[in-house]
Amino acid sequence: MNKAELKNVTFRYMPGTVYETLALNDVSVGFEDGKITGLIGHTGSGKSTLVGMLNGLIRPMSGEVLLDGENIWEKPKNIGSVRFRVGLVMQYPEYQLFEDTVEKDISFGPKNMGLSPDEISRRVKEAADIVGLSGKELAKSPFDLSGGQKRRAAIAGVMAMEPELLVLDEPAAGLDPVGRETVFSAIADYRNMRNSTVVIVSHSMEDMARWCDVLTVMADGGVLMTGSCEDVFSHAEELKKTGLDLPQITKLMLLLREKGVPVGENIYTVEAAYAALTEIFGKRASLKRI
Amino acid sequence: MKNISIGQYYAADSPIHRLDARTKLILAILCIVCTFICKSTFAFVALMIFGVLLVLISRIPPKVIFRAMKPIVFIMLFTALINIFWTGGEILLFEWKFIKVYAEGLYNAAFMTVRIIVLIIGSSIFLTYTTTPIALTDGTERLLSPLKKIKVPVHEFAMMMSIALRFVPTLIDEADRIMSAQKARGTDFSSGGLIKRAKALIPIIIPLFVSAFRRADELATAMECRCYHGGEGRTKLHVTHLGFSDFFALILMIAFGAALVLINIYASKYGLGYVMP
Ligand SMILES: Nc1ncnc2c1ncn2[C@@H]1O[C@H](COP(=O)(O)OP(=O)(O)OP(=O)(O)O)[C@@H](O)[C@H]1O
Ligand SMILES: [Mg+2]
Repeated sequence: MNKAELKNVTFRYMPGTVYETLALNDVSVGFEDGKITGLIGHTGSGKSTLVGMLNGLIRPMSGEVLLDGENIWEKPKNIGSVRFRVGLVMQYPEYQLFEDTVEKDISFGPKNMGLSPDEISRRVKEAADIVGLSGKELAKSPFDLSGGQKRRAAIAGVMAMEPELLVLDEPAAGLDPVGRETVFSAIADYRNMRNSTVVIVSHSMEDMARWCDVLTVMADGGVLMTGSCEDVFSHAEELKKTGLDLPQITKLMLLLREKGVPVGENIYTVEAAYAALTEIFGKRASLKRI
Repeated sequence: MKNISIGQYYAADSPIHRLDARTKLILAILCIVCTFICKSTFAFVALMIFGVLLVLISRIPPKVIFRAMKPIVFIMLFTALINIFWTGGEILLFEWKFIKVYAEGLYNAAFMTVRIIVLIIGSSIFLTYTTTPIALTDGTERLLSPLKKIKVPVHEFAMMMSIALRFVPTLIDEADRIMSAQKARGTDFSSGGLIKRAKALIPIIIPLFVSAFRRADELATAMECRCYHGGEGRTKLHVTHLGFSDFFALILMIAFGAALVLINIYASKYGLGYVMP
């Protein structure tokens, strides 16, 4: 079952001018219910545009956007309710923070939904919990937080709306390894708690391989392929042609295979590589590593 | 918001694009003067031809120019209507209760419309469409540089102007992005009363100001790191010189102005066409 689906969607920026760009060209793609889908593609391949379609920020020029099988533009007046069901975290979301405390900022979305004060405070607490913001940070001004904390506060602001479909555009861009880990595990936690569907846009093959169930590859305003990590990464040549690459660890493992080390072919995370190598070289190697 | 096209440079290769920015500044001023010199039918016909020629020479698609006109259509209609109904005269064309329309009124309305159109075409073609903001501020600075003798901070004003111009598109982009982000969190900009709509702007304005201040701060640091210390002793990388074509263009423009004056004089002497009072 697809939670959300695009059917033959086309979109141009600034139509009728010399700056006209075809951002999406007859795209049809589905996002499976309850899965974490990773959206990858080179710069300018149309990822952000596609993601903006899902909650009705951008209206397709032709084609349909379906949510639970219903066209979201059936009644354009009701697009507001779609935005409550599909939460979108934009690229660099920390610039949307504006309230005088983090807590108030997180409650901005739920307040717009017209929820009761009790419900709002419950949601704010839960969302803050998921992204790992403590009570001390909730009372601070959002402008006094560190970059990573700001990012998490902004993500919590969307999670607090408890969307059925959570969409994040480059949620970990510009963060350090620990920051990336926190953000992605918060997203995974959210999915597990709410049984919701998640779409993540990212440039990092490593992160995508580690956290996503399904990968969708975009190139030049179209969808190139969709499938599990194994499926997608087995098309290494095609990926390279569109300016993408395999995860570093996978390339290392393939190199080792070439040199005669009998590691498996489908290794996409450091953990898996570690397990495979200890199996071959035994515990001695793993002890030396420590 | 992306459709704001006034004040946008249009890259093309045309004789007007190649003129020096200083020349174009003077030409723009002369062009404005010319529109106000016109008083008679023939002068306005000449002015219209001038406007069309200007568009053709500049190689800017008429489509782009029409788009820039859209926001001022209302102003044009308004002045035209005022002229039609409020101009007194001798030849009465139409009367209904207290509304009287004279032929003079129609003439005035048509003239004012032509005037506004050529005014916009002239100033936007000479200034924004064919000149980059940087060249424009540079030109302004050099044109006004004699004022430095009487301690007017010309360079500083020019720098402020170019920084402001440089950040207009950036801030529009930013506002667009913040608006989308808040829409995604359920802000509704398009319904409710005036107060509700004004309140809905707070989540836009605050982040916009925060980021504008941050950018200003970063820019100031970056400029200081590159030893910017004002205009004193500062030289230019690209020094442009006035060439033959610049003088030619200026002479052409002055000749056109003189021709308009002559047309006006002859028209009123021999009663050719309608002459504005
Ligand atoms: N607001 C806009 N106005 C005009 N063109 C745009 C706008 N936003 C994007 N584009 C163009 O549309 C195309 C797709 O852009 P999009 O932002 O969807 O790419 P992306 O895959 O998200 O890239 P990135 O990885 O760099 O974020 C690009 O060619 C881009 O130049
Ligand atoms: Mg993007």
